[in-house]
Amino acid sequence: MIYSELLRESWRAMRTNRMRTALTMLGMLIGVAAVVAMLAVGNGARASVNAVISSLGSNMLMVISGARTSGGLHVSSGSTPTLHLTDADAIRGLPGVAAVAPSSPQAAQVVYGANNWSTSVLGTSPDYLQIRDWPLARGSNFSPSDMRGAARVAILGQTVAQNLFGGADPVGHTIRIARSPYQVIGLLAAKGQSFGGQDQDDTVLIPITTAQRKLFGAQFGDTVRVIMVQAQGPELLAPVQDEVDALLTQRHHIAAGQDPDFNVRNLTEFANAAASTTRTMSLLLGLIASISLIVGGIGIMNIMLVSVTERTREVGLRMAVGARPADILQQFLMEAVLVSFAGCLAGLLLGIASVLVVNRLFTMHGLVTAGSVLIAVLVSVTVGTFFGFYPARKASRLEPIEALRYQ
Amino acid sequence: MSEPLIRTVHMGKRYALPAGDLQALADVSVAIGEAEFIAIMGPSGSGKSTFMNVLGCLDVPSEGEYFLRGQSVRSMDVDQRAHLRNTLIGFVFQSYNLLPRLSAVENIGLPLVYAGVGVRERDRRSRELLAQVGLDRYAGFLPPQLSGGQQQRVAIARSLVNDATLLLADEPTGNLDSHSSDEILAIFERLNRERRLTIVLVTHEPDVAAHARRLIRFHDGRIVSDTPVDRAATIQRTVVA
Ligand SMILES: Nc1ncnc2c1ncn2[C@@H]1O[C@H](COP(=O)(O)OP(=O)(O)O)[C@@H](O)[C@H]1O
Ligand SMILES: [Mg+2]
Repeated sequence: MIYSELLRESWRAMRTNRMRTALTMLGMLIGVAAVVAMLAVGNGARASVNAVISSLGSNMLMVISGARTSGGLHVSSGSTPTLHLTDADAIRGLPGVAAVAPSSPQAAQVVYGANNWSTSVLGTSPDYLQIRDWPLARGSNFSPSDMRGAARVAILGQTVAQNLFGGADPVGHTIRIARSPYQVIGLLAAKGQSFGGQDQDDTVLIPITTAQRKLFGAQFGDTVRVIMVQAQGPELLAPVQDEVDALLTQRHHIAAGQDPDFNVRNLTEFANAAASTTRTMSLLLGLIASISLIVGGIGIMNIMLVSVTERTREVGLRMAVGARPADILQQFLMEAVLVSFAGCLAGLLLGIASVLVVNRLFTMHGLVTAGSVLIAVLVSVTVGTFFGFYPARKASRLEPIEALRYQ
Repeated sequence: MSEPLIRTVHMGKRYALPAGDLQALADVSVAIGEAEFIAIMGPSGSGKSTFMNVLGCLDVPSEGEYFLRGQSVRSMDVDQRAHLRNTLIGFVFQSYNLLPRLSAVENIGLPLVYAGVGVRERDRRSRELLAQVGLDRYAGFLPPQLSGGQQQRVAIARSLVNDATLLLADEPTGNLDSHSSDEILAIFERLNRERRLTIVLVTHEPDVAAHARRLIRFHDGRIVSDTPVDRAATIQRTVVA
């Protein structure tokens, strides 16, 4: 039988029982919409995790001052740090190390004219931008002489610049940090939110030497809270981690069996674990939604069985005028596939629309990808074929005279 | 001697029922040639419909042989029998068996769908046949909008659309009034004469059987008589009655 003929017949049958067709489609529609929405949620979560990972900087280790705590990455700000600038210089000399940025954060009030803003001021080195993979939107990085001379210069994050300067270019202006004047030499590009949902653009960078000598209390001396280390490649992360660990154990005179007063962490590893968790989550969500597709498929099978029974005489007549079993099979199969495909298209529209609406209302980042659309279409056609096959085969195996005698 | 269109050899049909086997046809040996017009009569349950179904390749004999154009139908597979039904045989049923969702023209064209004929050609040929049964004005009508006689004429047109050689009609006038019945029989006679169509027609009414030229009587699944129709005698009998 010709395909246009099959389509024509199926369309006619679907139109004859409009209400029934619509209800059968509804099952598929809900299933597909659920799959699209769930995959969108999963994809959205993955996209934001990926964004965070790339904003973190690549191949990065963090050496944190203080003993290992169960609290994870939290950098305690109470006690005096145990790491020193000299530690950072020593790490810089290790093989496989690309960049080192000793850093200490401090909450401070920044003022420009009548505007003031409390933010986190990070004392760090020029390597910081490279490690964090964070370009400058304007101006320049700290120079070696800024570092040596503990110059009062600052690089602003976008949020700080926005709050102090509105839209205007801050570079060249002088702001006050904890009442002392600093010249703005650069403006960071926007970075967005971090893992914990913090605004990474709400920051001001100053040279670590300036922070130590002019901003923090004298008791801090030349200590730093964190030393960020970038390895030259992903394969070097583990060896560099071991080297840093060995170097600092030696430098800090940590005896065997004694708890170290520092802590080396591989952030990339951590981020990758988070990424694979979200991947698993989105897969799971899709799987759960697929169950509703199967329920929709069972609905199709149900209706097709009713339809075959109702049209037994028709099948008999078609066979009497020359239809082969294969023709009958194709006709009912086409009908099932068409119903599920139509339900799928409607479900796609509903799914995409609901993702858009939810994104709008709740500032979520649900993401409908071509892949998830493809999955929904393939699954629905498969479901239609799979669940339509049994009723269609049943119709094709009818005996013509039995079918014609059927009342 | 050339092979007749239809030849059955000790043909039987048995149905297996819970209460035991039922012999619907037994020892049927008959030959039917091209352009014959045969009436089949017999009491209800005597196996007439079973005979027609087997001749029409809708059913297969359980004993003996059935040769259609010299080929054994028993040894054919379902697709081959479907092909014969599609190209060689036309069926007309007592209950018309039109598809209610399809228009008259579409119903007539149904066999052509399975012959792989395109929609245009189908429409052309179906309209031609609709005209031959005198219904040119009803092309777009759905079966429920037609009278019984009109529906049966559509069914006849359907049975002929594939240039069938053999027309099998199982009580085609059983549901019709005498006027419609006469119209249908006139069509049969014309088709038999002009197209040299072989017609086998089951009926309960002697008047209807009188249109045929050969009469086969069934009883308990067996042929009990096979005679030429004596036209003069039957006509006289109707006049007397
Ligand atoms: N599919 C079937 N299954 C069982 N018995 C059948 C079947 N078809 C016909 N019969 C039986 O075969 C016998 C002949 O039936 P049929 O050929 O329809 O008779 P007729 O058409 O002469 O009235 C009847 O007794 C009928 O009940
Ligand atoms: Mg009968």
